[in-house]
Amino acid sequence: MAFAFFLHALPVLLRGALLTLWISVLALAAATILGVIGAVLRTSRFRLLRAVGTTYVEVFRNTPLLIQIFFVFFGLPRVGIRFSGLVSGLLALSLYTGAYNTEVFRAGLEAVPRGLHEAAAALGLSAWQRFRLVVLPVALRIVLPALGNNFVALVKNSSLASTIGLVELTFLARDLEAWTFRSFEVYGLATLIYLALVVGLSLALRRVEVRITRHLRTG
Amino acid sequence: MQWDVALRNFQYLTRGLQVTATLGLLVTALGLLLGFGVGLLRLRRRGPAYLAATLFVEVFRDTPLIMQMFFIFFGLPAVGIRLNSFVAATVAMSFFAAANAAEIVRGAIQSIPRGQTEAARALGLSPHQTMRFVILPQAIRRMIPPLMGLFTTLVKDTSLAAIINVFELTMAARVTIERTLASFEIWLVAGALYFLVTYPLSLVTQRLEQRLVAETAA
Repeated sequence: MAFAFFLHALPVLLRGALLTLWISVLALAAATILGVIGAVLRTSRFRLLRAVGTTYVEVFRNTPLLIQIFFVFFGLPRVGIRFSGLVSGLLALSLYTGAYNTEVFRAGLEAVPRGLHEAAAALGLSAWQRFRLVVLPVALRIVLPALGNNFVALVKNSSLASTIGLVELTFLARDLEAWTFRSFEVYGLATLIYLALVVGLSLALRRVEVRITRHLRTG
Repeated sequence: MQWDVALRNFQYLTRGLQVTATLGLLVTALGLLLGFGVGLLRLRRRGPAYLAATLFVEVFRDTPLIMQMFFIFFGLPAVGIRLNSFVAATVAMSFFAAANAAEIVRGAIQSIPRGQTEAARALGLSPHQTMRFVILPQAIRRMIPPLMGLFTTLVKDTSLAAIINVFELTMAARVTIERTLASFEIWLVAGALYFLVTYPLSLVTQRLEQRLVAETAA
């Protein structure tokens, strides 16, 4: 009986895992852009811009993601800003992860050797060219492992968006449980799928990391 | 906007905040106790105890906390283990905390140079004495900043307990909004209350990290 149930539940939950992955990829893309902007603000020469960057990071890192999700989905409509569950979930996840990415990118930008800035300037590159062609590519390689960790955290955090109706693995597990009452099997199986997803992603990211930084090692 | 609603329900919200703080402290304490043991077992590198500890760490670190809560609160009753929502949340969060604490403990111990162990053994200390008098005193100092960070994370994560109906700050906010419909105001105030607790903790963590970096560099 249990086997027949698993055959029924597995495709549903695997579809959920795929959706979880998609949502995480979308949110990561937005969070990466936010992270670069945040890091540029935080390392700016202007005090006001630095303050904006710091406030963004501290507010989003020091409040629960769940509260941020509820604020976007339930709070903002009261001031006339209305998003669907999907958009609200993506927005909150992106902003939250963006704050963590900001810190990652800031550390990456600061780790780029001064000589590289100077060499690029000596070659006659403009400030924007120096940033886009020299500093950012080097910083990106430095931050890759930390960015990977944030992506894995995002896969787990996306489960919270199920509370506002964003359809992914946790949402489908709750749904399946609601009409089969097989809570033990459903949540057990969903947990295992998350485990496989996270372990698989971690291993894959490590391989990508080795690939991308291969040329940095000599011999 | 009805900011007076937030003011009139402030006492109710702070009652939720008290539970949030209690739950945060409780699961951190339980997580530390369990996590310390699990972390030490992870140092063995082989044997059934090592495998069990590794499985525990991977399962609780690599799956969402909310899934763990659902499994313990909704799933376990199917096999006869019935816990009320507060106990279920405490158990799930303590396991989650322990798995994360275990990796901090293991990492800190492994970061102590091998030469320390060799020197202590050469002085005639037993492996147990080496751990107790040489390695641990140094490792514990390195654990403190990341454990403080874990505590901060756990305080934020107590909000998930609201999803399985534990009364704490997030639940108190939800109930208040159901009565007053002041969703914007109350979620903002609830967020601010969390911030008031976690921001000082983050600052302390940062300070401790900087001090440790300065010490290790010296």
